[in-house]
Amino acid sequence: MSSGQVTKRVKYKTSVKDAGTPGRLSLVKERLLFRPNNPNSASKLDMQFKYITNHRYTKEGSNKAPMLNLTSNQACRALAPPVEAPNLGASSQVPSEQPSRDDLLFRARLLQDSSELQKLHQQFVGGGVLTEAEFWATRKKLLEKDSNTKSKQRGGLKSSVLGESKPLIDGRTNRVTFNLTPEIVREIFSEKPAVHRAYLNFVPSKVTEKDFWTKYFRAEYLQRSKNIAAAIAEAAEDEELAIFLKPDDILANETRRKIRRVDPTLDMEADQGDDYSHLPDHGILRDGSKEVPEPGNELYRRTLLQDLNRHAAVVLQGTPIDEEQLKDTQTVAEALERSKQERSTASKDDDSMADQERLKGISQAMTIDDLRGSNDHHLAPLWIKDPRDYFDSQQASSFRTSMEATKGSMSSQEAYGLLRESISQIKSMGLNHPIVAPEVAQKVLSVLTHNISSTKYNLGKKPGESLLDSLPTSVRDELLHHHISIEELMKHFWSSYPITTKYLNTKVIKLKDEMSKMDSQLQKLKETVQPDIRHQITLLIRPMQQALEAAMQHYDAEQQKRASKAREKPNGYS
Amino acid sequence: MKFQIEEVTVYFPYDNIYPEQYTYMVELKRALDAKGHCLLEMPTGTGKTIALLSLITSYALAKTESPIKLIYCTRTVHEMEKTLAELKFLHNYQVKHLGAAAKMLAIGLSSRKNLCVNPTVSSAENRDSVDAACRKLTASWVRSMAAENPNQPTCEFYENYDRAAGGAVLPAGVYTLEDLRAFGKEKGWCPYFLARHMVQFANVVVYSYQYLLDPKVAGIISKEMQKESVVVFDEAHNIDNVCIEALSVSVRRQTLEGAIRNISRIENEIDRFKDIDAGRLRAEYNRLVEGLALRGDLSASDAWLANPALPDDILRQAVPGNIRRAEHFLHVLRRLVQYLKVKLDTDKVEKESPVSFVASINSDAGIDQKALKFCYDRLHSLLMTLEITDTDEFLHIQTICDFATLVGTYARGFSIIIEPFDERMPLIPDPVLQLCCHDASLAIKPVFDRFQSVVITSGTLSPIDLYPRLLNFHPVVSRSFKMSLTRDCICPMVLTRGSDQLPVSTKFDMRSDPGVVRNYGKLLVEMVSIVPDGIVCFFVSYSYMDGIINSWNESGILKDIMQHKLVFIETQDVVETTLALDNYRRACDCGRGAVFFSVARGKVAEGIDFDRHYGRLVIMFGVPFQYTESKILRARLEYLRDTFQIKEGDFLTFDALIDVMNIKLTDRNLNQRQAAQCVGRVIRSKADYGMMIFADKRYSRHDKRSKLPGWILSHLRDANLNLSTDMALHIAREFLRKMAQPYEKTGSTTGRKTLLSQEDVEKLGNNGAQEMLY
Repeated sequence: MSSGQVTKRVKYKTSVKDAGTPGRLSLVKERLLFRPNNPNSASKLDMQFKYITNHRYTKEGSNKAPMLNLTSNQACRALAPPVEAPNLGASSQVPSEQPSRDDLLFRARLLQDSSELQKLHQQFVGGGVLTEAEFWATRKKLLEKDSNTKSKQRGGLKSSVLGESKPLIDGRTNRVTFNLTPEIVREIFSEKPAVHRAYLNFVPSKVTEKDFWTKYFRAEYLQRSKNIAAAIAEAAEDEELAIFLKPDDILANETRRKIRRVDPTLDMEADQGDDYSHLPDHGILRDGSKEVPEPGNELYRRTLLQDLNRHAAVVLQGTPIDEEQLKDTQTVAEALERSKQERSTASKDDDSMADQERLKGISQAMTIDDLRGSNDHHLAPLWIKDPRDYFDSQQASSFRTSMEATKGSMSSQEAYGLLRESISQIKSMGLNHPIVAPEVAQKVLSVLTHNISSTKYNLGKKPGESLLDSLPTSVRDELLHHHISIEELMKHFWSSYPITTKYLNTKVIKLKDEMSKMDSQLQKLKETVQPDIRHQITLLIRPMQQALEAAMQHYDAEQQKRASKAREKPNGYS
Repeated sequence: MKFQIEEVTVYFPYDNIYPEQYTYMVELKRALDAKGHCLLEMPTGTGKTIALLSLITSYALAKTESPIKLIYCTRTVHEMEKTLAELKFLHNYQVKHLGAAAKMLAIGLSSRKNLCVNPTVSSAENRDSVDAACRKLTASWVRSMAAENPNQPTCEFYENYDRAAGGAVLPAGVYTLEDLRAFGKEKGWCPYFLARHMVQFANVVVYSYQYLLDPKVAGIISKEMQKESVVVFDEAHNIDNVCIEALSVSVRRQTLEGAIRNISRIENEIDRFKDIDAGRLRAEYNRLVEGLALRGDLSASDAWLANPALPDDILRQAVPGNIRRAEHFLHVLRRLVQYLKVKLDTDKVEKESPVSFVASINSDAGIDQKALKFCYDRLHSLLMTLEITDTDEFLHIQTICDFATLVGTYARGFSIIIEPFDERMPLIPDPVLQLCCHDASLAIKPVFDRFQSVVITSGTLSPIDLYPRLLNFHPVVSRSFKMSLTRDCICPMVLTRGSDQLPVSTKFDMRSDPGVVRNYGKLLVEMVSIVPDGIVCFFVSYSYMDGIINSWNESGILKDIMQHKLVFIETQDVVETTLALDNYRRACDCGRGAVFFSVARGKVAEGIDFDRHYGRLVIMFGVPFQYTESKILRARLEYLRDTFQIKEGDFLTFDALIDVMNIKLTDRNLNQRQAAQCVGRVIRSKADYGMMIFADKRYSRHDKRSKLPGWILSHLRDANLNLSTDMALHIAREFLRKMAQPYEKTGSTTGRKTLLSQEDVEKLGNNGAQEMLY
């Protein structure tokens, strides 16, 4: 409903007998608009609600074609009979838009993309519990095409430096082993374009892959051992090795390009370019305030700090390579090269666009927020690719603690009970020595501290771990599926209230049947699982059952109310 | 909003205004009315710049009969860009509400390096080579040569600009450097010369301090500014240092060696000219006899850096006879360089006054004071005559001539200090001969004399009565404003112990202790996991930062940090640091979050803001070591004591050392002006918030802590004075949670308003500001 309008295919008639003009009727905030399919047609309608004096529509369930008859005080009678859409009364609350061909295709694609959605669709639409339209009505967000195209999200790079992983040094054989995975290769290639270029040029035509990497790591090792003299000596002998040790010329070019487009409000290079007081040897050189720069910036000197900056820049930029492409070095190298070319062709317009955006951002950043009357922030929608993964990692710790507590020798309830007992004892008997029975205090303390220390111990330590993960996969999947199905049912169930039409009534009955089926399934699941995880399962199932129960209760209460009303009515009239 | 301050209608581009801003404007207006100078202190984070800009532009709009020009000076180019961005915002607002009448021309001016659009020139490495490359294409003799020889390369942008002549004007608007470049590219005109030309016509000119204070630059750029100008020095707490630096020169061995090379090259050129065009040298000689050091009508593109001495002190006399001939002049230079070389070859520190120094040059090298004084002009004339364009090659000899001219011109306010090595590294011989200026009022005097109003403003000018004495002027308004905060948006903490309860410190005997390094690391690891967006860390020095990052890397702490945030680091390479900063901001903007490692006295600490989400937490690891024994500082203190009766103690607490410790805190003498300035930079507005952690046990001592600026101290609760990592973590969590809550922006709950609406301002205007606010 982002656009705030309802559209429906209708035929427009000026009188009942009229053949009608096919077109679309849209309902917006203040007016009713009719646009004929044939743009040349003269019959257009644009009527504000306030001019409508009367409206009639065909009764639901009658076999006449549904029709809406509007009367306005401008003496113009407008008739807008909906196209022969089965079952869809003009007043029905179900989404009434007829899906176009595009929409259908789009839905099919969505189903294909997500197996979860497909399962649900099969279960409910296939099982006749919900109609197609109902199913999609609750997923309007998904259907908004632009949000969907934008949300094509790719996982970012990991922040940590993979290539920095320490070499294994075997003291006995004096051998150093480096491990290399496609991910590390990707990192090396994107952070050191010169190595990438060298790889494309030399492998496999000039040197073998193995030799190439041996040389690379030899250079890295020299670099890291800070043995500059040795590095220079080796580089003089081996020109390929020298490539790895030399400062990266591609990077240098890139830097020069980037510095031109840097945010001008922090461009310290420009400051330097404008500073005429610090002509060489002007100004005060040694007043104790400036740090003396370390001498020597030799050719073969690359520092950890530079590497870290470079790494972070690459991570921030993101990778153009998908996970699937991370197979072997060759594919990674080629894929990177391809994407680089693409980028260089596309970058021109991109850059200027990005520049404009940045400049806008700067002027926005300059404004003082709280002085503005209203803040019209544009918020980017939060898009979490895998909500379960995201939230599980946050909840893992709390689940853990509950487990730990149950495993402890005594639950905190029990401990609490003991404490209360002793308090009531004190109340009845007054204070005597000792105030609290030592063994009780001991128990309470140990349980409570155990609880605290285990919480602390587990807090966020193992983000991937949760109660769910401790279950066998088949059970877990089943549980999750049940959970999603129940969620779907609940959504439809609660949105049907208050029941105003017959249609909704039938829907609710169908839903209720499905719910009781679900309830028994849950019960069965609980009974069939292994006894050792039954407790956890019960914990997990309980909220689902509670949700179902609440819905059932509501249904029953409502049913009773209706029945009593129905009984009252004839009484009142008779 | 729109409101009246007396007869002036002020157009302010926001719906609300801070009470500080309003009173600031009232005071500023009084100074403008009185056509006098003023000194205004208002904490950063209260929107000083926009208040200043909107008052002065509105004032200019109101007084159309005597139009005033605004000359706005910033310390750096990036601050200039920020000012222009604010001005743009203001200008849009004014044009929207006033129509075409509010249109004005505002330009930012910078060097060729930042403005050039000629691809071949602008690709040059540094400023000097860009200047030289430009001169190679645009010098008058190159262009006249090109008129005869089509193969002689010229700059098409300059040629187009020159051809358009009077037609080359900028339409009204606000131009940042980028806008100027874009305009230049579009029209095919040289943006640098266009901007320099337009400076005379612009309503607002924004450039850096030096363009007004440094006679070398001011001589060519700011010569023709009208008297009816308002000059603003923003962030002016360091203005005295800029003034003295503008008149100081240091000579090192490399300078002298370079100067000797330069002299030989000039000699060769002279010989060459003698063969082909002896007439030219003779013409120069004749001109010098007539008393003109330079041709009066230098074209803009020929202008080199101007005389290093102040305009009033330059003698309008004929160049003395003994240096009129080129060869003789070269001999003089040779003797001078030789003399300096001998002087530099010393193994003890020497201090001399200019008078005795000049006297000994006269007796030892036979160069009299008048010849010294004319060195600069004579060199300039010679290089012009020889048609030398690669001026970047001649910087060394230029330094020597600057030195000679200054030492020959000024008898007091300067001293010459020769140090055989840096006192902090006594083993590395690196002799320096420094001519240092002690009197900041010298360089700024012409500015006070020339312009109707000079506004000196900053977040920290205390003690405010010291500035008029240092700079030797009489302000008509001198006021200091306090900031009223709506809520406790600053949370300083002193961390003395790590999570293992062992003390942390960067004291010399502890700093390399692995326990301290680990505890510092653990602190950061814990903090990155709970603080959103950006964290800035300051270390005491580059070498310490380098060491600690390497050991964090080895022990895996860095990896833990990177799990939560990206890491960016300041290096000694300005370009790399700029890119790292840019990326740091991007990372904060996109929500990934980042940590920036910086050095307490580095370039970043000096001038980059870490406001809003760019700096939710600032950690100062250790107490930066302050070098107080500098010979130059001692000499300056002596001079101040003798001349202005400023007591050493006064000046040291006020400026516990020139230009040091900037950031949030700093220093053994956490000097008031800098430290406050730095902390101020975490706060952009009253809605902003930030924490700072001082991680060193020495901060818990009262004598160290009391050096922190007052308004940090006022937020530093006793409970936060002696924390361990765990406790700091807890406080940080609580603070962040508190800050995330919605709050009443106007501060009406606390009794005093911290935000005024249109209505409030109108009421204020009627009642008089003072009673309600103070």
